[in-house]
Amino acid sequence: MFGNPRSIAPSQADVTVGLLRADTLLRLLALAVAAAIICVATNVLVKTTATASATPRPAGPGPGLSGVAWRARSNPAWRIHAAADGIVVGFLIVIWGLTSRGYFWPVWVALPLALALAIHGWVVTTAGNQPLLDRFLGSRALAIVGGIFAALSLFYIGIWAASGGGSFWPIWPILALALVLSAYAAALRLSASNRAELTERIDVLEETRAGAVDEQGSELRRIERDLHDGAQARLVALGMSLGMAEQKLAEDPERAGQLLAEARAGAEQALRDLRDLARGIHPPVLTDRGLEAALSALADSTPIPVTLHVDLPERPPAAAETAAYFVAAEALANAGKHARANRVDIRIFRTGQLLTIEVADDGRGGADPEGSGLSGLRRRVQALDGRLRVASPPGGPTTILAEVPCGS
Amino acid sequence: MRVVIAEDLALLRDGLTRLLRDNDCEVVAAVGDGDALLREVVDKRPDIAVVDVRLPPDFRDEGLRAALEARRRVPGMAVLVVSQYVEQAYARELLADRAGGVGYLLKDRIMHVAEFIEAVHRVADGGMALDPDVVAQLFSRRREHEPLERLTPREREVLALMAEGRSNAAIAESLVLTVGAVEKHVQSIMSKLDLPPSANDHRRVLAVLAYLQQDGADSATT
Repeated sequence: MFGNPRSIAPSQADVTVGLLRADTLLRLLALAVAAAIICVATNVLVKTTATASATPRPAGPGPGLSGVAWRARSNPAWRIHAAADGIVVGFLIVIWGLTSRGYFWPVWVALPLALALAIHGWVVTTAGNQPLLDRFLGSRALAIVGGIFAALSLFYIGIWAASGGGSFWPIWPILALALVLSAYAAALRLSASNRAELTERIDVLEETRAGAVDEQGSELRRIERDLHDGAQARLVALGMSLGMAEQKLAEDPERAGQLLAEARAGAEQALRDLRDLARGIHPPVLTDRGLEAALSALADSTPIPVTLHVDLPERPPAAAETAAYFVAAEALANAGKHARANRVDIRIFRTGQLLTIEVADDGRGGADPEGSGLSGLRRRVQALDGRLRVASPPGGPTTILAEVPCGS
Repeated sequence: MRVVIAEDLALLRDGLTRLLRDNDCEVVAAVGDGDALLREVVDKRPDIAVVDVRLPPDFRDEGLRAALEARRRVPGMAVLVVSQYVEQAYARELLADRAGGVGYLLKDRIMHVAEFIEAVHRVADGGMALDPDVVAQLFSRRREHEPLERLTPREREVLALMAEGRSNAAIAESLVLTVGAVEKHVQSIMSKLDLPPSANDHRRVLAVLAYLQQDGADSATT
């Protein structure tokens, strides 16, 4: 069955010679490749170290894979890393080519180096690349962990391939890694809903902040207009009366007396205008005595009968108090002006960290929630993170409900 | 009559001082804050303190609180509180303390010099001077109140002036009536509101105010 050993000797020598030739060719090729690698790597190393400190990093191109690759290649640290690895591996190949026989052992050095380089490159490419990160549930940590796991898996497969195949054992560590990664992703998915809430919250904050700024601007314009048309104009008229009285003093004292009386009346009216204006900006009694006293005074000056229930164990923060006051004031004004109500109920109470203001009238309804008064009020309440709801079906009645957080 | 003034704005303090001096009042001290007011009233024992509601350091109601404190330290001293705005809540606090003359007026009223000086004298003499705006608030508070509805318009006018603290003679002058006619109106009002008749102006004012304020609560604050 084995035949004569002699008879096979020549053919064995032929094969050996053939193998030797192929082996030599492979070695020469490997040496050439190694030399090329060393040359390129050294060139890259020299260029990168020479320019890295001098050249500012250029702005990268748009997102996308080409952008990602560009980002890794353009990263000086990664380039130095890659070049050093290249030189080391090149020299190992040279040593292998010159000395060893058979087994290509440099692969065991090259694989871990490649793994480290891959991880480095992955971190560099994902750093700050939001579109890429978004594919990983928006988590940079998940992207990096996924990248490292992928590199590890490739590393196992590489070892398996380099060690001659056989039973595909890398499947087990890869499955374990996949399991860990899935658990991580699931945990992130849960927190992603929080993230969505946060995003929504930011949207709301941006909107309400803009609303608050608008509201403040229009308030200031209204105040300027009121001052211009009211007190300022009255003071001009008053000054004219005084000037004329001065002229008439000697020749017509009676007329001068009339003019002085006019001037005094003008001054009184100017004072009233200013008082109303100041009260509209911030009623002093609200600061001094709180909501109940301020609303009670407001109710007294309203022609409609008002029932006021204020149930507050302690004074809310000033901002919440002011908002509550103006909600009630605007609602009262509307009830009188538009709704022709016969009765208004105001209830103010606190549940937990929420100050609630409820104003209900028995009028004919039809209030426009987008009207200037109510929308201004909404912006005012929203600026404090509160909510304003208006229920005013045609035919009535109207209920305005505002909730303002008043926590510490 | 000896007066202490507490007003933080120099312009108004000087103006008020001049106005009172021109009207034969002796301004014994003019100060700019509540502590100084307390020192001066204890030291000088004036007939009346004219106090701005809003004083340093917080510019809220320090003047009002200083005025009430001054009355505790110098019992019976008259206090006239003046302000750029009048509030029911302050009036109630001032009136709750019934020792001695009390006044609460808008600064606007100072422009009616003769009436203002008359009010200063009235308060210094133990009487009352309540701003017409406060009285109007009291009336509106009671707008649904039956007995008030029964008053004639003229009687309401008389009642308002009574609530301001004016005497029959002053009411007569203000409404261009005879004193006798005013007395008749007053009697009618007191009986319609079921208040005890009183010859004493001050007690009468208190009764009227008590009546008007009494359950301001049914326009109801809980």
